[in-house]
Amino acid sequence: MSTTQTEPDDRPERTAAETDERIDPAWTEYGFDSRTKLAVDSLDVHYGNERAIDDVSLEIPEESVTALIGPSGCGKSTFLRCLNRMNDRIDAARVDGSVTLDDQEIYGGDTDLVELRKRVGMVFQQPNPFPKSIRDNVAYGPRKHGDVETGLLARLFGRGDGKDEDDLVERSLRNAALWDEVSERLDDNALGLSGGQQQRLCIARCLAVDPDVILMDEPASALDPIATSKIEDLIEDLAEDYTVVVVTHNMQQAARISDQTAVFLTGGELVEYGDTDAIFENPESQRVEDYITGKFG
Amino acid sequence: MAETNTASLTRGTSGSLRYAAGTVTALGVGVLLVSLLAFAGAVPTGTVAGVPLLDSLAVVLGVGALGMIGVGAASGAGLLDTTPDHTAGTSLAAVFGVVGFVAGGLVAAQTLGLATLWPVGGLAGAALGVGLALVPREDVALAATGGGFALVASLVVLTGVIDSGWSWQPNGLSVVFSADTTVPLLFGVAGLLLAWVGAQAIAGFGTQGKARGASLLVSANAAGMIALLVVLVSFIAVRGWGPMTEGVRYGLFWEPFTWFQVPIWDQWVIVNAPIVWLYWPFTMEGVAITNAVNGVAPAIVGTVWLVIGAVTFAVPLGVGTAVFLTEYAEQGRLTALVEVATNGLWSTPSVVYGLFGLAFLVPRIGNQSTLLSGMIVLGFMLLPLVVITSREALLNVPDEYRDASAALGVSRWETIKTIVLPAAMPGVITGTILGVGRIAGETAPILLVLTGEPFPAEGPDLVNLSAGFTSSFPFVEVSAINPDALLQSATALPYQLFATITAGVGDLSDGFRWGTALVLLLVVMSFYAVGIASRIYFRRKLDA
Repeated sequence: MSTTQTEPDDRPERTAAETDERIDPAWTEYGFDSRTKLAVDSLDVHYGNERAIDDVSLEIPEESVTALIGPSGCGKSTFLRCLNRMNDRIDAARVDGSVTLDDQEIYGGDTDLVELRKRVGMVFQQPNPFPKSIRDNVAYGPRKHGDVETGLLARLFGRGDGKDEDDLVERSLRNAALWDEVSERLDDNALGLSGGQQQRLCIARCLAVDPDVILMDEPASALDPIATSKIEDLIEDLAEDYTVVVVTHNMQQAARISDQTAVFLTGGELVEYGDTDAIFENPESQRVEDYITGKFG
Repeated sequence: MAETNTASLTRGTSGSLRYAAGTVTALGVGVLLVSLLAFAGAVPTGTVAGVPLLDSLAVVLGVGALGMIGVGAASGAGLLDTTPDHTAGTSLAAVFGVVGFVAGGLVAAQTLGLATLWPVGGLAGAALGVGLALVPREDVALAATGGGFALVASLVVLTGVIDSGWSWQPNGLSVVFSADTTVPLLFGVAGLLLAWVGAQAIAGFGTQGKARGASLLVSANAAGMIALLVVLVSFIAVRGWGPMTEGVRYGLFWEPFTWFQVPIWDQWVIVNAPIVWLYWPFTMEGVAITNAVNGVAPAIVGTVWLVIGAVTFAVPLGVGTAVFLTEYAEQGRLTALVEVATNGLWSTPSVVYGLFGLAFLVPRIGNQSTLLSGMIVLGFMLLPLVVITSREALLNVPDEYRDASAALGVSRWETIKTIVLPAAMPGVITGTILGVGRIAGETAPILLVLTGEPFPAEGPDLVNLSAGFTSSFPFVEVSAINPDALLQSATALPYQLFATITAGVGDLSDGFRWGTALVLLLVVMSFYAVGIASRIYFRRKLDA
């Protein structure tokens, strides 16, 4: 997609939602000034006969935080799971339309799911560390992808990457703002960590495979306020190097951490998408305004 | 204006009631316990301190019964602070209907000699029981039924209707009941019922009383369960301990750098450290004329090899099937069918497996009884349980793990190998332990496919230690695998036990069978111990 330097003044009217046209993928119209990382075009998702996502198109700029908000059951999590094809794991789900990552279609028949998911990582609502040591959790992805070899044979023949792995684990944990808390007990079981620490460990595990995009599905909804604010700070830091897409039902959180916001309303419809400040201060659609001001949802 | 509720929020039964009813309950429980011990033969029914045991029990039971009747009467007269319901309820009526029917029938047939008219007595007894339970207020009903039955039981013995010389051979039956077993049973039932109604009286009858009575019955259930296990195990242990430990010798030796004979393997080895030496003939010798003490070593070795073989066969196959069913196959008709099939196989009688092994495996493997056939047949038996429990364990692994792994781009098989199977391991092991407990004691299938000579002098020597450690120090030759042992018949503990009992082999003492039974129990328990230890090990790895 084109890189642009459009002036904010040139920003056109955002009428897509009201005219029921699909949002023009020409990103420049929205005035975001970085390269497009993910572009979604006419995406439909059905679970059996039930429509979960209804003709959604939008583009996500790189190295920014995009928030997906909306009431329960509006399809925002489903949409998120389309971005790394996690919906493939649900037999009843059918996806139509197109999603491109750096201009490459990810719904092609010959897409390498391993490569896709390495580049588009995911963090879930419930912290879900494996019942293994902290080190094993972080190094799990790289080990499985053969990026570091620490198996018994590799070590026996002197080809072990123990040092590389230590570096990788430390770097990932530092980037997830967890290193200081766990550096002394890397071999303890991850389930012994607190909920907030577990969630940051999951982020570190995701960072360890060096993704471009990180998808987060309500990453703080199971956490207490202090842990939540740590995760929020972390998300803002991550946006300097990664493209972060975060689903949240907490509108204050979306307003605090995101650069742009997409509002989904019932029926899997994308009602409004644009700069976060604009959405929260001056929404185009009455329905979005009602939702944001708490009149429904 | 709302009236102030004057009913007291605190309620306690009075001290005298609690002492009286508590004593009744304690007497009931005491009579129950002593009766059960007498029935089991743990307490002699002869005279204790000049009075026959059963007579003293009858006195105690009678005192308890009178106490209960007194409590009921006092409560019925309003002398005690109790809260009885209007009627005692249908459960009490049902219990004493049955008790009344049996007692009435017996009295009619035996005491009154009414022969074929005994149902009349039975019905009359039932009517009396139900009437006593339902018509009066709860406190009186409980005292009349529970206390009344205990009193009758006590009087029957005290008045000599049934004395220690009494015996009864029912018409047309070939059994003879003696007082030594009948009276303890009667007293056991009466004691239990007395304790039950007594417990209800402690709490002042009513809802609280029913709760107290129920908790007494439930505790009695659990206690009975445990008592049964203890009786079973100690019955075997007491009889088997002597024969099992006959001729045990042990000692501590320390002769640095000396040739030293280790009697177990009849080998001269070099010993340069203190060793503890143990000679336990029952578990280290077979049956031979030259043995001072005959033992079951061949059968132990046979059983251990059988279990190892069956586990080696069944666990990989069963876990693989379970992985396919939970992780690969779509949940639907196929998985439902496999589930039905595995459940059915698990319920199939073991002798059917044995017959299958005899008709199918034996002709194909050497055309004789072989250790290998035994292993495979027991493996077939173990397989369904491993599939069922592994599948359950795999289904219990949270999907979040699979999602997390998939989101990292890790393939399904790698995820199963590294995440799912380790998390399911404790469940798989539990299932395997349960199955091993079953197959280690199986007699029927191995009788058909495994055994030849019932009391061989040596067990199957798959790993022949005496041939292996030739001690030309410092060179130790290990060439000890002997595959031919797989293709020869062997013996196993349950089979040897069966053979001892049925054949009554002359050379072997009566204690031999109890010793064998105890060893079998211990072998199964040590398999359990290994299983539980590994379960704890895997659990530890998963838990924080």
